[in-house]
Amino acid sequence: MRPWKIVAAGEGGQGIQALAETLALAAYRAGLQSLYIPNFGIEQRGGVSLAFVQISPAPIGSPKFLRADLVAALSPRALRRSGQYLGPETFLLYDNSLIDAPQISDEVVGLQSYDTIAPEAFAERSSYRDRRPAVEAPSRCLVAVAASDLARQRLHPRVFNMIILGAIVEITGAVTLEQVKEALEEKLDRRFKKDPRLREHNFAALELGAAAVKEKATAQA
Amino acid sequence: MAKAAELESRAFITGNEVVARAALAAGADCMFGYPITPQNEIMHHWRRLAPQQGRLFMQTEDELSAGFATIGAVIGGKACFSATAGPGTVLFQEPLSMAEMMRLPVVVVVQQRGGPSTATVIYSQQELNLVCFGGNGEGLRLVYSTGSHQELYDYTIKAFHMAWRYRFPTFVLGDGYQAKMREPLQLYDPAERGFGPIPKEPIFGSVRGEGEKPLLHLRNSFSVEEELSEVLGRHLEDYARAAPELVEHEFLGGAGGELLVVAHGIVGRAARQAVRELRAAGRRVNFFRPITLRPFPEEALRQALEMSGGAVLVAESAQGQLGKLVRLAAAEWGRPRYRTLYRPGVGITAEDIAAEIEEAILA
Repeated sequence: MRPWKIVAAGEGGQGIQALAETLALAAYRAGLQSLYIPNFGIEQRGGVSLAFVQISPAPIGSPKFLRADLVAALSPRALRRSGQYLGPETFLLYDNSLIDAPQISDEVVGLQSYDTIAPEAFAERSSYRDRRPAVEAPSRCLVAVAASDLARQRLHPRVFNMIILGAIVEITGAVTLEQVKEALEEKLDRRFKKDPRLREHNFAALELGAAAVKEKATAQA
Repeated sequence: MAKAAELESRAFITGNEVVARAALAAGADCMFGYPITPQNEIMHHWRRLAPQQGRLFMQTEDELSAGFATIGAVIGGKACFSATAGPGTVLFQEPLSMAEMMRLPVVVVVQQRGGPSTATVIYSQQELNLVCFGGNGEGLRLVYSTGSHQELYDYTIKAFHMAWRYRFPTFVLGDGYQAKMREPLQLYDPAERGFGPIPKEPIFGSVRGEGEKPLLHLRNSFSVEEELSEVLGRHLEDYARAAPELVEHEFLGGAGGELLVVAHGIVGRAARQAVRELRAAGRRVNFFRPITLRPFPEEALRQALEMSGGAVLVAESAQGQLGKLVRLAAAEWGRPRYRTLYRPGVGITAEDIAAEIEEAILA
């Protein structure tokens, strides 16, 4: 497999960190090198939440990087904030249905403790990196999934992040949906036992996200 | 102590949890600490895991107190440690100076954050000066700079052993990235890797004197200059004698190099990746990473310089704190040509270093 550098960016509370950690855990369980680091700051809620995941068959270098292979940007300002990681070859996955940022509660996913960064304007101003306008990626690298709508209409707003994770799995092929499901079983074991419907919703969301990407690919072909 | 089978396993956890598990596996008896980001989860995990095995945790009222409580336990013969960061590392200097003077094997894990002062809770390599030379003394300390979760585990275990064997305060120097990121590592029972129990013993002696060592007068104050000079002279001699046994480094490359990239800790990891990629593309670039920052692997650095034609690139997330150590060590070699990539309090990626190397070689 090829190595993947992935940035997930969204609003605090969207479950970005849970998504990234689950992906990294699945890759680790699949026997790959895997590194996950949250962009953490002093705030616990609000602001843009950024996560960095690297998956590779070879040893991984620095925990952060300048260019991503895939950016998942899940709100307008998350798109602005993660624009610096886009290169000409970067896949950009975004939610084209987002009006209200869906909230994910600790009850369901938890693990949101490092969800935030410094205030937006400051973080952007102090960045060392050269920034380019956000959506400049060639269209073949653009992947739109209406995750927020899909979650609300078909499942539950809270599994929004699992739809995105399903889409990431389909785009990258770095891990399988089965491996992600096993990682979720491991992470949410207690909660799944308490409420088996959580498992159904989360798994269905993964499938939905993967299917949405597959449909697009078929339509384009 | 936990059974070997329980310890022999792979894990995908944060660096802070790695440290707590390593201290537990090493056989540490207690931890005194005071919360500060980004090291808090070391305390949290130790607090969760340690009592099940009869180990102790106490949160003190501040870092001064945590440092002195650690000293007290060590004097009593307990393998005791603490963890801190940033302004906490500043406050730790007073107890650590005492530990230096009294030759107490205190172990402190530092997860560097941005500085000076409160600055950021996130990341830096700006606490090098502080952990190496922060006291009002001569820096008689042992400092390991780690660059991966495996090293955090390995060197936290090793820190207890070396501290007690050589009787110098010992640091494991990590950073906020290492603290918060997750990556795989191998957990193991130290006994299966040649580590016996930590060579600890009561330092004070026994009041009851039941066949044990006699009471000892540990001093950190002296009436006359000559007295201090004599005691300190012995410590300095011990340190100089121990240094060749303590120094550790990593080198990648060979003779005929065009450039030597020097970095430590997590930046070393970015540098290694950049050097590996450029070497694979046929560039003759070498890589040197001091693992002990104090004592510094000076001789090894000079050899690396020799193999690299005296051209150096120092990269660090600080304004030349490592650079200063490199210059000191290199002075005996000759006059290297320096380039620097200093980004105080900001992360450095493999791409940053690769770009800098390309420029250095073309220049």
